[in-house]
Amino acid sequence: MSNGVHGGAGKQTSLEALARHVRDGDCVAIGGGLSAREPMAVLRALIRQGRKNLKVVGSAHGIDIDLLCGGGAVSASAQSYVGFEQDFGMAPNYRRACESGAVAVEDSCCATMVAQLRAAIQGVPFLPLRSIRGTGFEKLHPEFRKMTCPFTGQELLLVPALAPDVAILHAQYGDAKGNLRIEGPPVADLLFAKASKTVIATVEKLVSNEELQRLGGVSVPGFYLAAVAEVPFGAHPTACYPFYAYDRPHTAAYLAAAQDGPESFARQYLQPFVHDCAEHAAYLDKIGGAALQRRLASWQDGPEAWQRLYQAAP
Amino acid sequence: MSACTLGEAMIFNLARTVENGTLVFHGFGSPLVQLALHLARRTHAPDLVLVAGATYGVNPTPAFLTPTSNDWALDRGAEAALDIEELFDLAASGRMAQMFLSGAQIDRYGSCNVTRLGGEKIAVKLPGGGGGCNLSCDAGRITLWTAAHRSPPQKDGKRRFRLVEQCDFVTNLGHRTSDGRPRSALGHRGQGPDVLVTELGLFDFDAEGQLRLRALYPDVSLDEVRASTGFPLAVADKVEVTPLPDASAVAILRTLDPLGVHLKELPPAERERRFPIA
Repeated sequence: MSNGVHGGAGKQTSLEALARHVRDGDCVAIGGGLSAREPMAVLRALIRQGRKNLKVVGSAHGIDIDLLCGGGAVSASAQSYVGFEQDFGMAPNYRRACESGAVAVEDSCCATMVAQLRAAIQGVPFLPLRSIRGTGFEKLHPEFRKMTCPFTGQELLLVPALAPDVAILHAQYGDAKGNLRIEGPPVADLLFAKASKTVIATVEKLVSNEELQRLGGVSVPGFYLAAVAEVPFGAHPTACYPFYAYDRPHTAAYLAAAQDGPESFARQYLQPFVHDCAEHAAYLDKIGGAALQRRLASWQDGPEAWQRLYQAAP
Repeated sequence: MSACTLGEAMIFNLARTVENGTLVFHGFGSPLVQLALHLARRTHAPDLVLVAGATYGVNPTPAFLTPTSNDWALDRGAEAALDIEELFDLAASGRMAQMFLSGAQIDRYGSCNVTRLGGEKIAVKLPGGGGGCNLSCDAGRITLWTAAHRSPPQKDGKRRFRLVEQCDFVTNLGHRTSDGRPRSALGHRGQGPDVLVTELGLFDFDAEGQLRLRALYPDVSLDEVRASTGFPLAVADKVEVTPLPDASAVAILRTLDPLGVHLKELPPAERERRFPIA
């Protein structure tokens, strides 16, 4: 790495090699948000590789952070939200890890994190905010400082720059130089890519740069990327439209295993879906193979087909 | 159609808080609010600038609600899409007129806790507030809601209140800080909570910034509300009956949420409540 700029090609690698860019103790920013475009295949690889003591930072997340907590990979969380919204509620592994003290709770809030990432992107040590003052986050984050604005006299809160060690993204398309095209809501991925010391990504499809241009252009320039791997269905069970919708039944089964406790989660989920699937192809078979892939792609058949994906009551 | 559900009544009352021509944002995991904004846009607020939670789509026209908020189904038909920094900049710079927030605890000054229950030792780690903390300070006004105000006695005879004297942790700022400083002393851009909609009634905030009961649903008594509230409740001079949607508003709502996604926000017993409508 040279000043965070990676000009060359030859970044295409395997899923396992890509995941090895993450080291024990790293501060990790995971892309996507809630039930969409989470880099799940990489996270499973991190658990197989036995990564420990990660600090996770992010905005609104769910199964990605919960899985890492269930796999024992996390020791601190500065997430803004980790849960399954009104549909399935709390994240069981995350909750257990926070309540037992295994994970240090350093909750953030979205705009605070955005300001911290922007400071890192701009190369300044902090940025000021008006918000947060008067809430519990002031005490939770003694590193935040106050100042009086020299122009207006207003009291402001200063939040320090945040440059995660590694950003882990999953995009729809990429090329061999690591140029990424993200379709749909980018969540915080572009900020993570620009602020982090190392950026790695999986993509549904590796294509030529000409094809990326034809598809509508590049979202994250390739020079930010250290490595890229083609991993179709790499975001499953979260969505990666236009390829596939969110797998709600799989998520319900995951949560049923997690809610029964750590032993149940290890036996019913980690072993079959993470440890026994060292090859991504084995995972794709395990979750239901071509039939499952066709089902999750059926959202394209229209609103009725799309609704049917969410109709069954898991 | 001769009756509406509790959920529809709550959505209608949330929709009534929306002012035409303003920019409003609903967060994620809040289908009651999401439906309220779509109802407002289709009725009294056609010039609303509706920004959808999670997708940040502007004025989307989803064919149906999905069980999670970051789903392409929810930004179909959007005129434009914002990114995360732009969304929060809109609030910090004063363009966002209204945001909706809730909590596992809501205190008498309208602060909310979605971070953790318990003191220094965490008893329950709640999911967290997303960007609610920042928006509670920055958005022009905050409209609060919860469908879990009712707090019957537990097995040990104690009630676990949703409306509490003081939050264990202040995720979203109301009209006072936990050490009693008034919000006005902090110089935030937003004016704080204006309304609370619960499954028992409608509330505003008095001149001291304290929650005050304004209206009850037709099947709820004042005593029930008092018993389910963890502090002495201020009550308006005249307590009204909550307004209810008409048949056309209910029809709109039933087309917007064919999967009944919003029902997950309501405790099961509350889903059975019905009110006669015109």
